[in-house]
Amino acid sequence: MNTLSSSIEETILPGLERKIWDAINLGLILIDANARVVLWNTWMAKHSGIPVEAAMGHSIESVFPDGVSASFKVAVRNVLSRKLPAMLSNALHHSPLPLYPLNTSHRRQERIQQSITITPIAADAQHGFCLIQVTDASVSVKRESMLKSTSEKLSIETVTDGLTGVFNRRFFDKRYKSEFERAQRQHKPISLAMIDVDFFKAYNDTYGHPAGDNVLIIIANSLKTQLNRSSDVVVRYGGEEFVVILPDCSVEGAKLVAEKLRLAVVELNIPHEKSKIENHVTISIGVASYLSGATCNAKGLLEIADMALYNAKNSGRNCVRQGSV
Amino acid sequence: MRSLSELHLDALTEVFNVGAGRAASSLSEIVADEVKLSVPRIQFYQSSEIDANSLFFDNSMLGAVKQQFNGPFDATAMLLFTEDRALEIVRDMVGSQLSIEELAEFEQEAMCELGNIILNACLSVMADMLGLTLTSSLPDYFVDSSLAITRQIIDEGDRSLILALHIDLNIESRHSHGYLVFLLSSSSLSELVAHIDGFLSGIG
Repeated sequence: MNTLSSSIEETILPGLERKIWDAINLGLILIDANARVVLWNTWMAKHSGIPVEAAMGHSIESVFPDGVSASFKVAVRNVLSRKLPAMLSNALHHSPLPLYPLNTSHRRQERIQQSITITPIAADAQHGFCLIQVTDASVSVKRESMLKSTSEKLSIETVTDGLTGVFNRRFFDKRYKSEFERAQRQHKPISLAMIDVDFFKAYNDTYGHPAGDNVLIIIANSLKTQLNRSSDVVVRYGGEEFVVILPDCSVEGAKLVAEKLRLAVVELNIPHEKSKIENHVTISIGVASYLSGATCNAKGLLEIADMALYNAKNSGRNCVRQGSV
Repeated sequence: MRSLSELHLDALTEVFNVGAGRAASSLSEIVADEVKLSVPRIQFYQSSEIDANSLFFDNSMLGAVKQQFNGPFDATAMLLFTEDRALEIVRDMVGSQLSIEELAEFEQEAMCELGNIILNACLSVMADMLGLTLTSSLPDYFVDSSLAITRQIIDEGDRSLILALHIDLNIESRHSHGYLVFLLSSSSLSELVAHIDGFLSGIG
């Protein structure tokens, strides 16, 4: 067994080494202490367009016809002089060497994304070499940018109502809590406006669900455009119910905003023949405000706004009612 | 066992500040902006003396770049930065928005490179000035809590001695404070002390 493996080491491996370098799916360059190329594998030849014969014996800085990045040259010089391994990350250097993908018609246009490691290799005390390994990072760069854009899209989707595009209940729970706490901390008011579309079930029954969905989208957009401050947010609270968070807004301010929202929906003039109060779509709004020093908590304020909305419904709809804290 | 005197620590502080200067100029070229790097002080510990509080204020997440150095003395070198500050710097450089948990592969690679530049600069200056030859592994990057990293430092086999270099890094308007930690065995420390003595007698 031992004899067999040692004979393989002596007779077959030396010839195999070259074949292994050439079979490896990675760019390999070995340079000597004077930075001259002593090994240039097939991967390098294919991706650089520079055949082995043309590369051997030339200095690494002169072997490439066009731009080798300055950082690559510095890194190679450092490794040769300091004998410590170095790397060039893809994120910071992208494409230090003029290497191109295979099998593309625009071969000369875009360089491969690269990750490079440069390692000193001492053959013996006198002979120092430097191994340069080039990895094609294009696939991982593409995958990462895809994952990133997907994760950005998902984080938007998790807080958005799929139908209307305004914020969803999940977002409300989080934002409302933090805004309420901020109001308490900073001794500032905060107001809520609970909104419900009047006779919406009748609308759906008359015009069909797709038309009903469309009304919700139009109303959501209309509410959104009425709000001027970026801190004011519209949320679809459920079915045909919306809620608007108005940070740093007193009860008078909230009533004004609510009235503006109500009028905006009236002006949309969406026909609603089964509405018992008008011939177009309307909304009812309940407003509640927390003022510094009041004893109610976030949940309590929400309940008061809900009660005010109930009050608005009972007062003939298409109106704004204020709840008292 | 030989240990480090104030004089030795002063000499090392000087050596590492030259290294820091070398690293800063390399980093400046990459970020195309002025980078300032300094080593205001060095502390020396027995691993039995330290807990997470001696190196770090709280149990924050740290990013670590680790290289093994070998030569007349062997050392594990770890560059430690509080993750959020280090990330800000890398984000400025590569322009991305990820959080620590989702730090992407290629940003980790960038952290690795920054650490490698700083470690190599410090170690190569040390090798030059103390007249010794060192070899090194490629850098590894990992993220962990300061508690877990401290435990790892304490558990590092026979390397029971710790040199902790405070590092101040300024890139553009960002300021970051980190540590370069060397873990040494007592025999490696003796070698290091002998080389520092040689260096001191040379300049004395």
